[in-house]
Order: sequence, then C-alpha cells, then structure tokens
Amino acid sequence: MIIPEYSLGLLVAFAAMGVAFFAMMRETDGFHRLLLTDLIEVVSLAFIALIGTDLAEALILPGLVVGTSELIALSEIYRIKEGYTRPPDAGLQIEVMESAPGILAALLVVYGIVLSGFSGGVVAGLGVLFYLLCRGHNERFELIETASGYSWALWIIAFFIFMILPQYWFFAVMLSGSAILVKVMAKMSLIGTMRGGPNA
Amino acid sequence: MPDIGGEPLFVLEFGDILHYYTPYTITLFLLALIFTGLAIASRPERQIDIAFGGDAYYAKETTVSEMRFRRFMAIACGLATMGAMGSGDLFNFTLFVSLVGIANIGIVAAVKSRHVLDAAYEYGIVAMVATLPLFGGAALVAATTGTLAIPVLAGGGFAVPLVAKAFLALGVIGEGMAPFYAAKAEMFRAPGAPYVIMCSLSSLLIFLRVVEIVITI
Repeated sequence: MIIPEYSLGLLVAFAAMGVAFFAMMRETDGFHRLLLTDLIEVVSLAFIALIGTDLAEALILPGLVVGTSELIALSEIYRIKEGYTRPPDAGLQIEVMESAPGILAALLVVYGIVLSGFSGGVVAGLGVLFYLLCRGHNERFELIETASGYSWALWIIAFFIFMILPQYWFFAVMLSGSAILVKVMAKMSLIGTMRGGPNA
Repeated sequence: MPDIGGEPLFVLEFGDILHYYTPYTITLFLLALIFTGLAIASRPERQIDIAFGGDAYYAKETTVSEMRFRRFMAIACGLATMGAMGSGDLFNFTLFVSLVGIANIGIVAAVKSRHVLDAAYEYGIVAMVATLPLFGGAALVAATTGTLAIPVLAGGGFAVPLVAKAFLALGVIGEGMAPFYAAKAEMFRAPGAPYVIMCSLSSLLIFLRVVEIVITI
C-alpha cells in the first residue's frame, strides 16, 4: 500500500541522500566529514519516519541511539587522534544564569510531573539539567543513580503487570508513567553535572 | 519459504518479533559462540620487533586496561553477532549489525597509535554512513509490506522491492568493512592481535546471514 505522500517523501529522501553522499565524496577534511555523517544519519531517520505509523515512532529511537553512540565514539577517536586536550573553563558568566535557574527549573519540573511519562521526564530533566548547569553542584551521583535504578525496576515491574495481570492495567500505567519520569529525569540531570573536568 | 536455511529448529516468539534458528543460522551462531569463548580465554600476543642487522629484539607491552577494553569489545561483538544470527525481525537484525559495527570500531580503536586511530576513524565514518542503507532498507520493507518478520515475509505474497534488498546488503557491506581497515592498519600483527579475529569473523557471519535473508524474503 503506497500512498502518494509516501512516494513524494521517498523522492525527497533519496534526493537528500544523493546530496549527502556527494558532499561526503567531495569533502576531504576529517572533522567536516564527521559532521557530514550526521547529515546522513538524519536522512536515514527520515526514511524510517516516512513509514508514518506508531511502528516508525518505535523504530526511530533505536536508530537515533545507534547514530548518537557512533558519533560520540568517533569524536572521541578524532580527539585522541589529533591530540586535542583543553583545560576545563570556569563556566558561563551570564547574569541571567545566576538568578533565573531556580524559578525556571521549578516550573519545568512541575510541568514535567503534570505531563508524566517519557515526555514529562524529558521536560523535568531539562529543568534539573539547567539548574545543575547554572548553579554549582556537589556530585551525588550515587543518589541519582539509585533513584534511576529503582525507577527502572518499577518500570519493568509495570510491564510484567501488563503481560501477566492485564486487569490491573491502570495501576501499571501509573507505575510506568511515574517510573519513566524519574528515570529520564535522573539520566538527563547527569548531563548538567558535566563540566569537562578530568573525570567527566 | 525457499529452503535455504532449512526448517526452523527453535522459535522464540514475542508477538511479531521473533528469534529462530535454522540449521544454517545455528551453525553460524555456534561459530560466533566458539570464537567469543576464544576471545575470553586467549591472552593477547606481544608484538616482537627485530632490530635489523643484529641479534637485538624488543617486545611491545600490552597494558592491562587496553587488553580489558579490547576483550570487552570482542565479547560485545560476539554477542551482537549471535543476536544477528538468531534474529527473525528485520529491524532487530539491522540493530544487531550496527552494534557489530560499533564494537568493531572499539576493537580497532583501542590501540593508541596514530595510524591505527586513523584507520579506525575512516572505518567509523564508513560504518556510520552504512546505517543509512541499512535502516533505509528495513524501513522500505516495513513501508511496502507492513511487516518486518522474516518468516512472514518468506511466507510469500509480499513484493519486497529490489532496492530495499540492495540497501540491506549495501548496509551490511559497509558495517562489515572492519577487517579491511584492520588490515590497512596492520593490526593483525599489532599488539593484542587475537581480538582482531572477532572483526573478521563477525563481518563474515553478518554477510552470510544477510545473503540468506535477502534470498529468503
């Protein structure tokens, strides 16, 4: 079953693929080629997104994870290969980042809790990330990791309830919704603690 | 179903997503298992360089951290290869293949020497570019037939476009390029050589599997 929109989108995706591969062929600088591979990754995600169903939504996430992990690994190789090391900076000296984080973080966390689930976790996590980026932090990684681990276990338990005791689906929805919220928030907040120090 | 792999011996179903082993794929699976065991058990070699024109020679040291990292990557590569052998879902297959690619980057890049890192970087770019035809092929199959399950596709009645099959094969070729770059960096005689075997084996096995898939669907 091919709908016209799909064919049209496919045509655009193939054209983008041609442009990306042509650019890749012409480029000789190593770093620019690394950046261009990201363009190619995006085209491959577009191919998946064109399916336009719930399945596509489920397939994009692993595709994105693969692309991101390869990009991180390659940039690390590039950094070591070229011998780039840079001492960590003192951080951003912007006035608004001294005064605003508390309010903004609180707003985002509350809104994230209202949303719940994965997207809520992302929103609340953004709030915590912003707060930790702007204000100082004492690394309590153990605490964050423990919360993240417990919420992951709750998430899995919720899935088992879905499969084994489907009549309690509402409880399972609540459980998985809040657990994934905490899980994603904890993971994202860790990004806010990265300052590029020797152990980061 | 064209009888290339033989009758499935074992099927593990999660709805539409399933794992199955035919006599063909179980042979490949066992090969990956044996070589993963070898990667766990074997000790890395020391490269011996002989000073030309004399009796002197020097052995290069392999540090414990480097050895651990490469062994971990070799085991990860073996597990991903085993997963790719047993997967009956086209998208899971592509994910396992790209995981093989990432693990191979790790195996090649563990040696901290300039020309090895150069080769690893070049291979990494090829592996990243190869995800486009790989995922694109799986996505085209899903879009045109509505399913990703290989046994369902093999059942007939689906017109899998030729371009999707070509994309799948092209993607696997890209991900399986690691031995070429390992040879380019002379890694087969570099310190910690046995783990490089995992690159060659995994790329051979994913080639064999993708040929079977492309013929079957």
